[in-house]
Amino acid sequence: MAETKSPAPKALRLGTADVFAMAITFFALGVTLQVLLIDRGTSVGRALLASSLIFSATSQFAYLAVRDAGGGEWAAIAAGTVVATRFGIMSMTLSPRLPQVLWRRVAAALNSFDPNVAVAIQQETPKAVEREFWRTTAAMMIGWFLGIFVGTFIGNVVGDIDRLGLDAVFPAALLAIIGNLIRSGDGRVAAIAGGLICVVLLPVAPAGVPIILSVFGVAVAITFRRSGAAR
Amino acid sequence: MSTLSIVALVAAVWGQRLLGAFVIGPVLGRRPVVARAMGLLPAAVVMAVIIQLTVAEGKSLVVDERLAGVAVAGVLVWRRAPFLAVVLAAATVTALLRVL
Repeated sequence: MAETKSPAPKALRLGTADVFAMAITFFALGVTLQVLLIDRGTSVGRALLASSLIFSATSQFAYLAVRDAGGGEWAAIAAGTVVATRFGIMSMTLSPRLPQVLWRRVAAALNSFDPNVAVAIQQETPKAVEREFWRTTAAMMIGWFLGIFVGTFIGNVVGDIDRLGLDAVFPAALLAIIGNLIRSGDGRVAAIAGGLICVVLLPVAPAGVPIILSVFGVAVAITFRRSGAAR
Repeated sequence: MSTLSIVALVAAVWGQRLLGAFVIGPVLGRRPVVARAMGLLPAAVVMAVIIQLTVAEGKSLVVDERLAGVAVAGVLVWRRAPFLAVVLAAATVTALLRVL
């Protein structure tokens, strides 16, 4: 709300309960995705392999969405690729904030997701950035891998996953993750602009494109809020 | 998912992360405006993902129980509720509305 850079809205650190909630969130996401994959005819082995290696649930959801809509293999792969562009942005945001040790930066880059990067970049020192990054990552990964195993072997029993409201879990979790960013004036403008760009383009642009073009929400924020820390 | 799609997506997703951290970032990241912009990117991009997950059904915009669940989550986030409360409230509201 302050015009100038507000006195750092106290670096967000996830407490124990938050870490636990993060694990549960990714557990639910893993279960959801595995049930969906197997439901769409993916073999158990390939479903496990895909969810263990691709490191982008959004890409898998996008791939399935295009296949569901009758799209071809390469169209589906392209959709899965473009929705992952944001992870390149995430790793780009995170990397300069880390201790400058090559292999540690490579490892962190490959593990860059929305929640852990959002938490990490709110820390003040490179060491704290790295520590909170891996703490959040560990919680996500533990939940995720438990989720995809449970989802593979007993998820079929759950039946209609939407009935449990699981499809609202991921967007709600993301919202909580960027909560602190949205409370800053710059972040709020960027988020509103990015969201609007996405809503307007969703019905007309190819799958994945609305999310990529939402990066221009940042340009809106910077244009309309000159007073920030630029230069 | 086919084996081809798994291999292709692993290459595409891993490649983009490395490209962002080690090529695009170092080349563009030296300027202060760029640094500020990078700090804001998660807000814009993550909000777009939230929108997509909340109101999209394929390429159509739909208003359904998800939106109610995520809206409640939004209020809770604004009030600084704990993470777990936010996530549980979203799932509960969405599920309850579907039962009604």
